[in-house]
Amino acid sequence: MTAPYTTAFRPEEAGPVVLALPKGRILAECGALLARAGIHAAPDYADEESRRLRFPTDDPELDIIRVRPFDVATFVAFGAAPLGICGADVLMEFDYPEIYAPLDLGIGICRISVAEPAETARTDDPTRWSRVRVATKYPAIARRHYAARGVQAEVVTLNGAMELAPSLGLARIIVVLVQTGSTLRANGLVETEIIAPVTSRLIVNRSALKTRPEMIRSWIARFQAALRLAA
Amino acid sequence: MTDDLPNNPALLPSGLRDLLPPEAEVEAMAVASLMEVFASHGYERVKPPLIEFEDSLFTGSGAAVAEQTFRLMDPDSQRMMGVRADITPQIARIATTRLANAPRPLRLSYFGECLRVRGGQLAPDRQIAQAGIELIGSASSAADAEIVLLGAEALAALGVHHASFDLTLPTLAPALIEHAGIEGLARNGLARALDRKDAVSVARHGGRLAGVLTDLLHAAGPADRALAALQSASLPQAVRILADQAAETIAAIRIRAPGLRLTLDPVEFRGFRYHTGVAVTIYAPGRYKELGRGGRYLCGEAEAATGLTLYPDVILQAAPAPKARPRVFVPAGTEQAAAASLRGQGYATVASLDGEADPESEAARLRCDYIIREGAAVKL
Repeated sequence: MTAPYTTAFRPEEAGPVVLALPKGRILAECGALLARAGIHAAPDYADEESRRLRFPTDDPELDIIRVRPFDVATFVAFGAAPLGICGADVLMEFDYPEIYAPLDLGIGICRISVAEPAETARTDDPTRWSRVRVATKYPAIARRHYAARGVQAEVVTLNGAMELAPSLGLARIIVVLVQTGSTLRANGLVETEIIAPVTSRLIVNRSALKTRPEMIRSWIARFQAALRLAA
Repeated sequence: MTDDLPNNPALLPSGLRDLLPPEAEVEAMAVASLMEVFASHGYERVKPPLIEFEDSLFTGSGAAVAEQTFRLMDPDSQRMMGVRADITPQIARIATTRLANAPRPLRLSYFGECLRVRGGQLAPDRQIAQAGIELIGSASSAADAEIVLLGAEALAALGVHHASFDLTLPTLAPALIEHAGIEGLARNGLARALDRKDAVSVARHGGRLAGVLTDLLHAAGPADRALAALQSASLPQAVRILADQAAETIAAIRIRAPGLRLTLDPVEFRGFRYHTGVAVTIYAPGRYKELGRGGRYLCGEAEAATGLTLYPDVILQAAPAPKARPRVFVPAGTEQAAAASLRGQGYATVASLDGEADPESEAARLRCDYIIREGAAVKL
């Protein structure tokens, strides 16, 4: 027997459509995009100090929630939020088949890279490795990246400050999101490889697109128009 | 280990569960009404075993679930057996062997439990009930339409009227990619991008297909509009046939069920590795799990077939709760005929065994809503 609310709760009947936005880095860049898409949320949505988590917009059919970037994917995958914005890094890490990523929003530009201390970088031949210890926030991406090269990644999962790991002996290599590279430089690290370029995507829950195609399509179209406006 | 988890007898292996009252009865009744709809349309029931030799289990459509199958060795024959992870391959085996001489089209239905080695990211269940139909020996679009219409009728019998039927053409995108000569890593990248509707990667890996694939990607939606987009796209002849099949199926469904929520997604092909023509996935608004799926496949070596599998566990979550059977308490000394007559009217009678002093409070303790007084059910 599953908990009873699984039968009672029907997001479709629970009011406005929810758009999940990621806290932090991307949120600031979302503001201009939302404005061009004609979405005006309660002003404190971008205020990280605000205790609210759910914000109404001027459109009674749309609410915004603000959650951690990794959680955007989870909310959308389960259909709790039919729409969301998150970085391609999050999609690569979780790889939920229930998420569609129909639109590149061109914001939050950065890359997922491999970095290591400047003094050890390129001192040996990585093709001879059979195992490597990696500190990262992206265990799945790191494992997949090294497995494709025939190397086992022994992953140390951290939630932040990966750049500290090499100097403190936690791992020689880190897999990390790089925007300008200044954090790496400040910690004596160099980028040795780019795993993938990253931009933010508009993401959509599969079941929502299938059951309410008109509504979801109209939101995608609004974001498309907003992107053309920006170009 | 010093910190073992206490061995709680209630703990089941992950992805398995007990069904308690009233869920177990609700499920049994739901399955019965699904099967009744199938039977009323001439689908005759078969019951394959839970376990069989893996070589027969993994032929044809079974190959897709091989990695999800629990295997064990048969100490009797020393051959490997598999616990079924999907029933369709078993029905195909029956149709091509024991029922090879039965007249076509052959309509079969089944219900049973399947076991999977791993649960999914979102749906942890490892034991999955399947109620389904197979229509074997017809390549006609009328057969594809019949499967969808019967699925809709079965769902309606359980009060699910808002389901959405998403038609897909799982071989369309692979055929386009093949025709364009895209191979190797680019092919894998493109297949994956289409699966995730990742427009950026489709444009990046698509080569000269990028334009048409992107158009078709964005065409997914209400069937009529998506079909128009598919028909106006420039397609090679082999792919055009698939588009025509979709058009015929949609037209056949529309005639008999104009109000059915029908969508078409021309380039989706996830998880349908064995489908050869029109396929269907059933969704309900606000539910992230599929209610059912099915489609055209090859039965045995070359026989045209199509089928549909419904997942009662998911359907029940999307269906309105059925009315519970009212419970009536039968105090000691009650006329047996009175209880029998109430059972005939749909009551569940709960008999007193020891002749309680206060039958009323005993009735309440045993969750009865009624008690028999002077031969009739009286509300407590």
